[in-house]
Amino acid sequence: MGRFTKPGQYLLLFAYLIFLGFPLLWLASAAFKSSAELNSLRVNLIPVEWHFANFPEALAKQGLIRSGMNSAIVSLSTTILVIVVSIPAAYALARFKGRLRTLGVGWILTSQVFPVILIIIPLFIILKNLNLVDSLLGLILVYTTYTMPFALWMLQGFVAAIPKDLEEAGAIDGASRFKVLKEIVFPLLMPGIVATAMFAFVSAWNEFFFALVLIQTPDNYTLPITLKMFVGGEGKVALGPLAAGAVMAAIPSLVFFAIMQRKLTSGLLAGAVKG
Amino acid sequence: MNKRTSQLLALVGVGALALSACTSTGGSTTPEDTPGEAASSAPAPTEKVELTFQSLSDQPGAIAATEEVVKEWNDENPMVQVTIVPAGWDGVYDKLVTQFAGGAAPDVIHYEAGSVIPFALDGYLADLTPYISDDLKADVSEGVWESVTVNDQIIAVPTELQSYMVFANTKLLEEAGVSMPEGDTLKWADFRDMAKQATTDAHAGLGWGLKSPTATFLSLGLGNGGYFFEGEGDDAKVMIGEGELTLPKEIMAMNNEDKSIETSTLTQSGGDVLAGFYAGNYAMTVQGSFQAANIAKDAPAGFEWVVLPALEGTESAAQSANPQTLSVNIDSTSVDQAAAFATYFTNAENMAALNMADALIPASKAARDLIAEQTGGEDGWTQILKSGEFLESAPFMKVTNYTQWKDTVATPAFQKFLAGQTDADGLSKDLTDGWDQINR
Repeated sequence: MGRFTKPGQYLLLFAYLIFLGFPLLWLASAAFKSSAELNSLRVNLIPVEWHFANFPEALAKQGLIRSGMNSAIVSLSTTILVIVVSIPAAYALARFKGRLRTLGVGWILTSQVFPVILIIIPLFIILKNLNLVDSLLGLILVYTTYTMPFALWMLQGFVAAIPKDLEEAGAIDGASRFKVLKEIVFPLLMPGIVATAMFAFVSAWNEFFFALVLIQTPDNYTLPITLKMFVGGEGKVALGPLAAGAVMAAIPSLVFFAIMQRKLTSGLLAGAVKG
Repeated sequence: MNKRTSQLLALVGVGALALSACTSTGGSTTPEDTPGEAASSAPAPTEKVELTFQSLSDQPGAIAATEEVVKEWNDENPMVQVTIVPAGWDGVYDKLVTQFAGGAAPDVIHYEAGSVIPFALDGYLADLTPYISDDLKADVSEGVWESVTVNDQIIAVPTELQSYMVFANTKLLEEAGVSMPEGDTLKWADFRDMAKQATTDAHAGLGWGLKSPTATFLSLGLGNGGYFFEGEGDDAKVMIGEGELTLPKEIMAMNNEDKSIETSTLTQSGGDVLAGFYAGNYAMTVQGSFQAANIAKDAPAGFEWVVLPALEGTESAAQSANPQTLSVNIDSTSVDQAAAFATYFTNAENMAALNMADALIPASKAARDLIAEQTGGEDGWTQILKSGEFLESAPFMKVTNYTQWKDTVATPAFQKFLAGQTDADGLSKDLTDGWDQINR
């Protein structure tokens, strides 16, 4: 390794971080700028004059906290449901061969080819008949159903990567199937579970179209719907409050990732086969 | 979601709607009132009626004005209570398609004429003709009524309009020795001369955000006799002639021959151009009239500006009217009361308050007069309100597949033309061939 390799790697990493992080920095900057400054030709990351009024405006005018709570309820519930259902299903898909598995995989792939646009009206009518339109429970069920196929596909890949020999070794040592799953498979599957949970959470947190159509009253709006309301007709955008709202909306998501990321790495380090 | 997807959704919606219509138990197309009787005289119901009003008001002032009107209505009509359901503009078409298909659409619907017409054609909106009072009928121009009339039925009450106006930096024009135009309209040739005269080494005469040029060209094209379409609905055909091509050709001439347009602005959105306008990079800019409120709010201290008279093309100062509207769901729990609320909402006082908050032009003359009185014509209101008189219904609003043509054919074709990649004949061919391809 040459003497410039490591600094070069760090330089590239730093450049990549800037590439990823700059839009976020710009968003944070816009959140503290006045409408006049945002509509000037001045290009500056640090606001000339710190303008804090965007935050109370975003909070008061559009009910951002209420929407944030709704998004948190929907996203966390979806994540839990997806994981609880996906783990046994993914294990079965990965380990059991047979016609049922073929059917299962076929269902997963088929479900991915239907655009939302094709199913939204029948779905709306079904949910209406079940009194689940304009309800967070309805949204949770829809998100769970819609996220499940991909989550299942993702998780079964992680299960398949766990050597079957480990389970057989456990069985030879006298462990029951449940114990094998609990003591051997589950810990090794943790990174996969965390990654799948992150996927499910982000999918639900950011989802716009189902929420737009299925939720009717402001009390049940989720964050993407509320944030979109900063964009008005005739091209009018309340850019400052929108940026402030987006910054606040990103915080729970960042906290969730910070917590889950630790689990992701600890799971990866858990190891399995020792030489 | 883009407009193409919206179209697809609409198509899917038609099928599902046909099914749901079989089980629909809603209202009736026949108003309960005597035809011709004004809605405000609708008798109070014997049982309490609850109506939902899906409002798209997004500006803080407009939201407050809407809430105030609804509160007054609710106080005056204890047996007919209205609840506001706020919604955003983005995605509202898809939302309405699904709401109608699922039989869960609100009673009173705030939208815009061009987008609400397909719902009327599909039979989801009540005929409001019998509910419009003679006074209101006379107070709104024929052209605007035409924009909300489908199969001889008024399917919406027009509320707010916008026009394209020229905003000018007074100081830069004065420095260039350009005299301020007077009168109700500004002839295009004079405007072009002004832009040429105002162009110096330091700044251009004009900045015009034409990133999405179709709406601008089709609206201002009316003044040159450019209608772009012949016929309505499925029978419409694209028609490109001299009237349709005049404005694009004039803009290119200003850019290439006069060098009076700041070329970079042609690829920007209207709002993006304002920053350069404030910075003095160009003396004039063409914007939606509502930008007057933003300029008044965001322009730097000491920035002096005016709104010039409405642009007049080779034939007239006409622009297309695509008013925001209030419609009534044909399956409303009470079409009578919903229509009564819609007409109450659009009385002169309410319209003046709402339009002032949104910086838009009221559809009715009485409301325009009120704004003129209340503002004293400040911040360009005199010229903006005057331009409201020139707004007319445009054929493109009643053309099936217009949105698809606009997004997939017209906008790319106009952009190609503005980039100098094709000439007027090529533009004409692109617009016509694209239409044929969509309707193949």
